[in-house]
Amino acid sequence: MSNPVDMKFLIVDDFSTMRRIVRGLLKEIGYNNAEEAEDGAVALNMLKNGKFDFVVSDINMPNMNGFELLKAIKADDALKHLPVLMVTAEARKEDIVLAAQSGAAGYIVKPFTKATLEEKVQKIMQKITAAA
Amino acid sequence: MTVDLPDNMSMPAASPEIFQQLGVLTRQLHDTLNMLGVLPGLKHTVDDLPDARSRLNYIATKTADAAEKVLNLVDTAKAEQEHIAAETRKLAELITADPVKAVASGAVYNFVQDVEATTHRVDGHLTDIMMAQDFHDLTGQVVAKVVTLANDLETQLLKLLVQAAPPEQAHKVEAALTAHPTFDPENPTLEGPVVSHDGRTDVVANQSEVDDLLASLGF
Repeated sequence: MSNPVDMKFLIVDDFSTMRRIVRGLLKEIGYNNAEEAEDGAVALNMLKNGKFDFVVSDINMPNMNGFELLKAIKADDALKHLPVLMVTAEARKEDIVLAAQSGAAGYIVKPFTKATLEEKVQKIMQKITAAA
Repeated sequence: MTVDLPDNMSMPAASPEIFQQLGVLTRQLHDTLNMLGVLPGLKHTVDDLPDARSRLNYIATKTADAAEKVLNLVDTAKAEQEHIAAETRKLAELITADPVKAVASGAVYNFVQDVEATTHRVDGHLTDIMMAQDFHDLTGQVVAKVVTLANDLETQLLKLLVQAAPPEQAHKVEAALTAHPTFDPENPTLEGPVVSHDGRTDVVANQSEVDDLLASLGF
Protein backbone atom coordinates (compact mmCIF):
# COMPACT_ATOMS: atom_id res chain seq x y z
CA MET A 1 0.00 0.00 0.00
CA SER A 2 1.20 3.51 -0.75
CA ASN A 3 2.04 5.99 1.98
CA PRO A 4 -1.28 7.00 3.65
CA VAL A 5 -0.77 10.69 2.81
CA ASP A 6 -0.57 9.78 -0.88
CA MET A 7 -3.85 7.86 -0.80
CA LYS A 8 -6.35 8.94 -3.41
CA PHE A 9 -9.81 9.85 -2.15
CA LEU A 10 -13.04 10.04 -4.11
CA ILE A 11 -15.55 12.47 -2.57
CA VAL A 12 -19.14 11.78 -3.69
CA ASP A 13 -21.87 14.34 -2.96
CA ASP A 14 -24.48 16.07 -5.13
CA PHE A 15 -23.75 19.42 -3.42
CA SER A 16 -20.53 21.03 -4.63
CA THR A 17 -20.30 23.01 -1.38
CA MET A 18 -20.12 19.84 0.67
CA ARG A 19 -17.56 18.29 -1.71
CA ARG A 20 -15.36 21.36 -1.24
CA ILE A 21 -15.78 21.22 2.54
CA VAL A 22 -14.78 17.54 2.70
CA ARG A 23 -11.90 18.15 0.31
CA GLY A 24 -10.69 21.11 2.39
CA LEU A 25 -10.90 19.12 5.61
CA LEU A 26 -9.06 16.14 4.12
CA LYS A 27 -6.31 18.54 3.05
CA GLU A 28 -6.07 19.90 6.60
CA ILE A 29 -5.91 16.36 7.95
CA GLY A 30 -3.04 15.69 5.56
CA TYR A 31 -4.60 14.09 2.49
CA ASN A 32 -4.09 16.23 -0.60
CA ASN A 33 -5.00 13.72 -3.27
CA ALA A 34 -8.78 13.83 -3.86
CA GLU A 35 -11.21 13.86 -6.76
CA GLU A 36 -14.94 14.58 -6.79
CA ALA A 37 -18.11 13.00 -8.19
CA GLU A 38 -21.64 14.46 -8.10
CA ASP A 39 -23.54 11.17 -7.75
CA GLY A 40 -23.09 7.42 -7.36
CA ALA A 41 -23.20 6.66 -11.08
CA VAL A 42 -20.41 9.12 -11.90
CA ALA A 43 -18.46 7.85 -8.90
CA LEU A 44 -18.74 4.20 -9.91
CA ASN A 45 -17.51 5.02 -13.40
CA MET A 46 -14.53 6.93 -11.97
CA LEU A 47 -13.74 4.11 -9.55
CA LYS A 48 -13.70 1.56 -12.38
CA ASN A 49 -11.44 3.73 -14.50
CA GLY A 50 -9.05 5.16 -11.93
CA LYS A 51 -7.03 3.97 -9.01
CA PHE A 52 -8.63 5.16 -5.80
CA ASP A 53 -7.88 4.15 -2.22
CA PHE A 54 -10.75 5.62 -0.21
CA VAL A 55 -14.36 6.70 -0.87
CA VAL A 56 -16.24 9.35 1.14
CA SER A 57 -19.89 9.29 0.05
CA ASP A 58 -23.18 11.05 0.69
CA ILE A 59 -26.36 8.89 0.57
CA ASN A 60 -29.22 11.02 -0.77
CA MET A 61 -28.15 11.72 -4.36
CA PRO A 62 -29.84 11.58 -7.79
CA ASN A 63 -29.20 8.85 -10.38
CA MET A 64 -27.47 6.46 -7.99
CA ASN A 65 -27.68 7.03 -4.27
CA GLY A 66 -25.01 6.21 -1.70
CA PHE A 67 -26.52 2.87 -0.69
CA GLU A 68 -26.59 1.74 -4.32
CA LEU A 69 -23.01 2.92 -4.80
CA LEU A 70 -21.89 1.10 -1.64
CA LYS A 71 -23.55 -2.14 -2.76
CA ALA A 72 -22.06 -1.81 -6.27
CA ILE A 73 -18.58 -1.31 -4.82
CA LYS A 74 -18.89 -4.29 -2.50
CA ALA A 75 -20.24 -6.46 -5.34
CA ASP A 76 -17.27 -5.67 -7.59
CA ASP A 77 -14.19 -7.85 -7.04
CA ALA A 78 -11.90 -5.08 -8.24
CA LEU A 79 -13.41 -2.49 -5.88
CA LYS A 80 -14.72 -4.32 -2.82
CA HIS A 81 -11.51 -3.73 -0.85
CA LEU A 82 -12.15 0.04 -0.91
CA PRO A 83 -13.18 1.58 2.41
CA VAL A 84 -16.37 3.61 2.06
CA LEU A 85 -17.11 6.28 4.67
CA MET A 86 -20.69 7.52 4.57
CA VAL A 87 -21.15 11.27 5.29
CA THR A 88 -24.86 12.00 5.20
CA ALA A 89 -27.83 13.87 6.67
CA GLU A 90 -29.77 10.57 6.86
CA ALA A 91 -30.13 10.06 10.62
CA ARG A 92 -32.58 7.14 10.78
CA LYS A 93 -31.22 4.23 12.78
CA GLU A 94 -32.33 1.77 10.11
CA ASP A 95 -30.24 3.64 7.51
CA ILE A 96 -27.18 3.54 9.77
CA VAL A 97 -27.62 -0.20 10.39
CA LEU A 98 -28.20 -0.85 6.68
CA ALA A 99 -25.00 1.03 5.80
CA ALA A 100 -22.99 -1.00 8.32
CA GLN A 101 -24.49 -4.28 7.11
CA SER A 102 -23.78 -3.31 3.50
CA GLY A 103 -20.10 -2.92 4.26
CA ALA A 104 -19.61 0.79 5.05
CA ALA A 105 -16.38 1.46 6.93
CA GLY A 106 -17.89 4.34 8.91
CA TYR A 107 -20.93 6.59 9.19
CA ILE A 108 -20.94 10.34 9.89
CA VAL A 109 -24.14 12.39 10.24
CA LYS A 110 -24.25 15.96 8.94
CA PRO A 111 -23.67 18.51 10.26
CA PHE A 112 -20.29 17.21 11.42
CA THR A 113 -17.01 18.64 12.70
CA LYS A 114 -13.45 18.47 11.46
CA ALA A 115 -12.59 16.39 14.55
CA THR A 116 -15.25 13.79 13.69
CA LEU A 117 -14.06 13.40 10.09
CA GLU A 118 -10.44 13.19 11.21
CA GLU A 119 -11.23 10.57 13.86
CA LYS A 120 -13.21 8.35 11.46
CA VAL A 121 -10.67 8.62 8.61
CA GLN A 122 -7.73 7.86 10.92
CA LYS A 123 -9.58 4.91 12.47
CA ILE A 124 -10.19 3.42 9.01
CA MET A 125 -6.56 4.12 8.04
CA GLN A 126 -5.37 2.22 11.11
CA LYS A 127 -7.51 -0.77 10.14
CA ILE A 128 -6.14 -0.69 6.58
CA THR A 129 -2.56 -0.47 7.87
CA ALA A 130 -3.14 -3.32 10.35
CA ALA A 131 -4.65 -5.53 7.62
CA ALA A 132 -1.84 -4.82 5.13
CA MET B 1 -74.86 24.24 -9.03
CA THR B 2 -76.58 27.49 -8.00
CA VAL B 3 -77.98 28.26 -4.59
CA ASP B 4 -80.54 30.92 -3.79
CA LEU B 5 -79.35 32.92 -0.80
CA PRO B 6 -81.60 35.08 1.35
CA ASP B 7 -81.51 38.80 0.50
CA ASN B 8 -80.35 39.79 3.97
CA MET B 9 -77.33 37.67 5.00
CA SER B 10 -76.64 39.71 8.14
CA MET B 11 -79.84 38.62 9.75
CA PRO B 12 -78.91 38.04 13.44
CA ALA B 13 -80.75 34.79 13.88
CA ALA B 14 -80.60 32.70 10.71
CA SER B 15 -83.44 30.34 10.33
CA PRO B 16 -82.85 26.62 11.08
CA GLU B 17 -83.56 25.95 7.40
CA ILE B 18 -80.42 27.85 6.36
CA PHE B 19 -78.21 25.77 8.68
CA GLN B 20 -79.87 22.66 7.42
CA GLN B 21 -79.28 23.72 3.82
CA LEU B 22 -75.62 24.54 4.57
CA GLY B 23 -75.21 21.16 6.20
CA VAL B 24 -76.70 19.40 3.19
CA LEU B 25 -74.45 21.36 0.81
CA THR B 26 -71.33 20.58 2.85
CA ARG B 27 -72.22 16.90 2.93
CA GLN B 28 -72.86 16.92 -0.82
CA LEU B 29 -69.50 18.60 -1.47
CA HIS B 30 -67.70 16.15 0.79
CA ASP B 31 -69.37 13.12 -0.77
CA THR B 32 -68.81 14.42 -4.28
CA LEU B 33 -65.12 15.09 -3.69
CA ASN B 34 -64.70 11.67 -2.12
CA MET B 35 -66.55 10.06 -5.00
CA LEU B 36 -64.29 11.84 -7.49
CA GLY B 37 -61.25 10.61 -5.60
CA VAL B 38 -59.92 14.11 -5.08
CA LEU B 39 -60.32 14.57 -1.35
CA PRO B 40 -58.11 11.74 -0.08
CA GLY B 41 -55.16 12.99 -2.15
CA LEU B 42 -55.82 16.59 -1.22
CA LYS B 43 -56.15 15.70 2.44
CA HIS B 44 -52.84 13.86 2.34
CA THR B 45 -51.16 16.91 0.82
CA VAL B 46 -52.75 19.32 3.27
CA ASP B 47 -51.65 17.08 6.14
CA ASP B 48 -48.08 17.63 4.98
CA LEU B 49 -48.35 21.41 5.26
CA PRO B 50 -47.36 21.63 8.96
CA ASP B 51 -44.30 19.57 8.01
CA ALA B 52 -43.54 22.12 5.26
CA ARG B 53 -43.77 24.93 7.84
CA SER B 54 -41.39 23.06 10.10
CA ARG B 55 -39.00 22.56 7.18
CA LEU B 56 -39.12 26.25 6.24
CA ASN B 57 -38.41 27.15 9.86
CA TYR B 58 -35.42 24.81 9.75
CA ILE B 59 -34.11 26.59 6.65
CA ALA B 60 -34.58 30.01 8.26
CA THR B 61 -32.77 28.91 11.43
CA LYS B 62 -29.94 27.17 9.59
CA THR B 63 -29.21 30.09 7.27
CA ALA B 64 -29.45 32.66 10.08
CA ASP B 65 -27.09 30.61 12.30
CA ALA B 66 -24.60 30.18 9.46
CA ALA B 67 -24.63 33.89 8.61
CA GLU B 68 -24.15 34.91 12.24
CA LYS B 69 -21.40 32.34 12.79
CA VAL B 70 -19.48 33.50 9.70
CA LEU B 71 -19.78 37.19 10.61
CA ASN B 72 -18.55 36.50 14.16
CA LEU B 73 -15.61 34.48 12.87
CA VAL B 74 -14.71 37.21 10.37
CA ASP B 75 -14.75 39.78 13.20
CA THR B 76 -12.46 37.59 15.29
CA ALA B 77 -10.10 36.87 12.38
CA LYS B 78 -9.94 40.56 11.48
CA ALA B 79 -8.97 41.44 15.06
CA GLU B 80 -6.17 38.85 14.89
CA GLN B 81 -4.97 40.32 11.60
CA GLU B 82 -5.01 43.84 13.00
CA HIS B 83 -2.99 42.65 16.00
CA ILE B 84 -0.30 41.17 13.73
CA ALA B 85 -0.26 44.32 11.57
CA ALA B 86 0.23 46.51 14.67
CA GLU B 87 2.98 44.24 16.05
CA THR B 88 4.73 44.28 12.68
CA ARG B 89 4.78 48.09 12.65
CA LYS B 90 6.18 48.14 16.20
CA LEU B 91 8.92 45.66 15.33
CA ALA B 92 9.82 47.62 12.18
CA GLU B 93 10.34 50.72 14.34
CA LEU B 94 12.54 48.77 16.81
CA ILE B 95 14.67 47.30 14.01
CA THR B 96 15.03 50.69 12.34
CA ALA B 97 16.13 52.29 15.61
CA ASP B 98 18.56 49.56 16.74
CA PRO B 99 18.64 46.19 14.92
CA VAL B 100 21.05 44.57 17.39
CA LYS B 101 18.97 45.58 20.39
CA ALA B 102 15.79 44.39 18.66
CA VAL B 103 17.25 40.90 18.38
CA ALA B 104 19.07 40.88 21.73
CA SER B 105 16.01 42.04 23.69
CA GLY B 106 14.01 39.13 22.33
CA ALA B 107 11.57 41.40 20.49
CA VAL B 108 12.18 39.62 17.17
CA TYR B 109 11.84 36.17 18.71
CA ASN B 110 8.65 37.14 20.57
CA PHE B 111 7.23 38.56 17.34
CA VAL B 112 7.89 35.34 15.44
CA GLN B 113 6.22 33.32 18.19
CA ASP B 114 3.27 35.70 18.17
CA VAL B 115 2.85 35.44 14.37
CA GLU B 116 2.95 31.66 14.50
CA ALA B 117 0.30 31.45 17.23
CA THR B 118 -1.94 34.06 15.63
CA THR B 119 -1.82 32.57 12.13
CA HIS B 120 -2.65 29.20 13.63
CA ARG B 121 -5.76 30.73 15.26
CA VAL B 122 -6.75 32.52 12.02
CA ASP B 123 -6.40 29.24 10.13
CA GLY B 124 -8.84 27.70 12.63
CA HIS B 125 -11.30 30.54 12.02
CA LEU B 126 -11.04 30.02 8.25
CA THR B 127 -11.75 26.30 8.72
CA ASP B 128 -14.81 27.14 10.81
CA ILE B 129 -16.00 29.55 8.10
CA MET B 130 -15.62 26.76 5.54
CA MET B 131 -17.56 24.34 7.76
CA ALA B 132 -20.37 26.88 8.23
CA GLN B 133 -21.11 26.56 4.50
CA ASP B 134 -22.63 23.12 5.15
CA PHE B 135 -25.96 24.93 5.48
CA HIS B 136 -26.10 24.94 1.66
CA ASP B 137 -26.24 21.15 1.46
CA LEU B 138 -28.59 20.69 4.45
CA THR B 139 -31.08 23.41 3.51
CA GLY B 140 -30.90 22.45 -0.18
CA GLN B 141 -32.20 18.98 0.62
CA VAL B 142 -35.02 20.45 2.71
CA VAL B 143 -35.94 22.95 -0.03
CA ALA B 144 -36.31 20.02 -2.46
CA LYS B 145 -38.81 18.39 -0.06
CA VAL B 146 -40.90 21.57 0.17
CA VAL B 147 -40.86 21.98 -3.61
CA THR B 148 -42.18 18.42 -3.91
CA LEU B 149 -45.01 19.23 -1.53
CA ALA B 150 -45.86 22.43 -3.42
CA ASN B 151 -45.97 20.47 -6.67
CA ASP B 152 -48.25 17.82 -5.11
CA LEU B 153 -50.59 20.49 -3.78
CA GLU B 154 -50.70 22.20 -7.16
CA THR B 155 -51.53 18.91 -8.89
CA GLN B 156 -54.31 18.10 -6.42
CA LEU B 157 -55.84 21.56 -6.75
CA LEU B 158 -55.71 21.37 -10.54
CA LYS B 159 -57.49 18.01 -10.42
CA LEU B 160 -60.14 19.58 -8.22
CA LEU B 161 -60.47 22.43 -10.66
CA VAL B 162 -60.94 20.02 -13.58
CA GLN B 163 -63.74 18.24 -11.75
CA ALA B 164 -65.48 21.46 -10.72
CA ALA B 165 -65.04 23.51 -13.92
CA PRO B 166 -67.96 24.05 -16.33
CA PRO B 167 -67.74 21.67 -19.34
CA GLU B 168 -66.82 24.44 -21.76
CA GLN B 169 -63.82 25.43 -19.58
CA ALA B 170 -62.73 21.96 -18.50
CA HIS B 171 -60.47 21.30 -21.48
CA LYS B 172 -58.42 24.44 -20.71
CA VAL B 173 -57.88 23.34 -17.13
CA GLU B 174 -57.05 19.83 -18.26
CA ALA B 175 -54.39 21.22 -20.59
CA ALA B 176 -52.88 23.09 -17.64
CA LEU B 177 -52.88 19.91 -15.60
CA THR B 178 -51.06 18.01 -18.33
CA ALA B 179 -48.50 20.79 -18.48
CA HIS B 180 -47.72 20.29 -14.78
CA PRO B 181 -46.89 16.63 -14.27
CA THR B 182 -46.60 15.40 -10.70
CA PHE B 183 -43.06 15.70 -9.40
CA ASP B 184 -41.51 12.28 -9.01
CA PRO B 185 -38.86 12.34 -6.23
CA GLU B 186 -35.61 10.54 -7.02
CA ASN B 187 -35.83 8.38 -3.96
CA PRO B 188 -38.85 8.84 -1.71
CA THR B 189 -37.51 6.44 0.88
CA LEU B 190 -34.70 8.78 1.90
CA GLU B 191 -35.70 11.41 4.43
CA GLY B 192 -32.90 14.01 4.32
CA PRO B 193 -31.96 16.20 7.30
CA VAL B 194 -34.09 15.76 10.44
CA VAL B 195 -35.70 19.18 10.91
CA SER B 196 -37.05 18.37 14.37
CA HIS B 197 -36.05 15.60 16.75
CA ASP B 198 -39.12 16.14 18.96
CA GLY B 199 -40.84 12.83 19.64
CA ARG B 200 -38.60 10.93 17.22
CA THR B 201 -37.08 7.68 18.46
CA ASP B 202 -36.23 6.32 15.01
CA VAL B 203 -33.43 8.81 14.35
CA VAL B 204 -30.13 9.71 15.97
CA ALA B 205 -29.59 13.21 17.34
CA ASN B 206 -25.82 13.40 17.01
CA GLN B 207 -22.61 11.59 16.03
CA SER B 208 -22.13 9.93 19.42
CA GLU B 209 -25.52 8.21 19.04
CA VAL B 210 -24.40 6.92 15.64
CA ASP B 211 -21.22 5.55 17.19
CA ASP B 212 -23.13 3.97 20.09
CA LEU B 213 -25.62 2.33 17.72
CA LEU B 214 -22.89 0.87 15.52
CA ALA B 215 -20.87 -0.27 18.55
CA SER B 216 -23.95 -2.00 20.00
CA LEU B 217 -24.21 -3.99 16.77
CA GLY B 218 -20.54 -4.93 16.81
CA PHE B 219 -19.40 -2.58 14.04
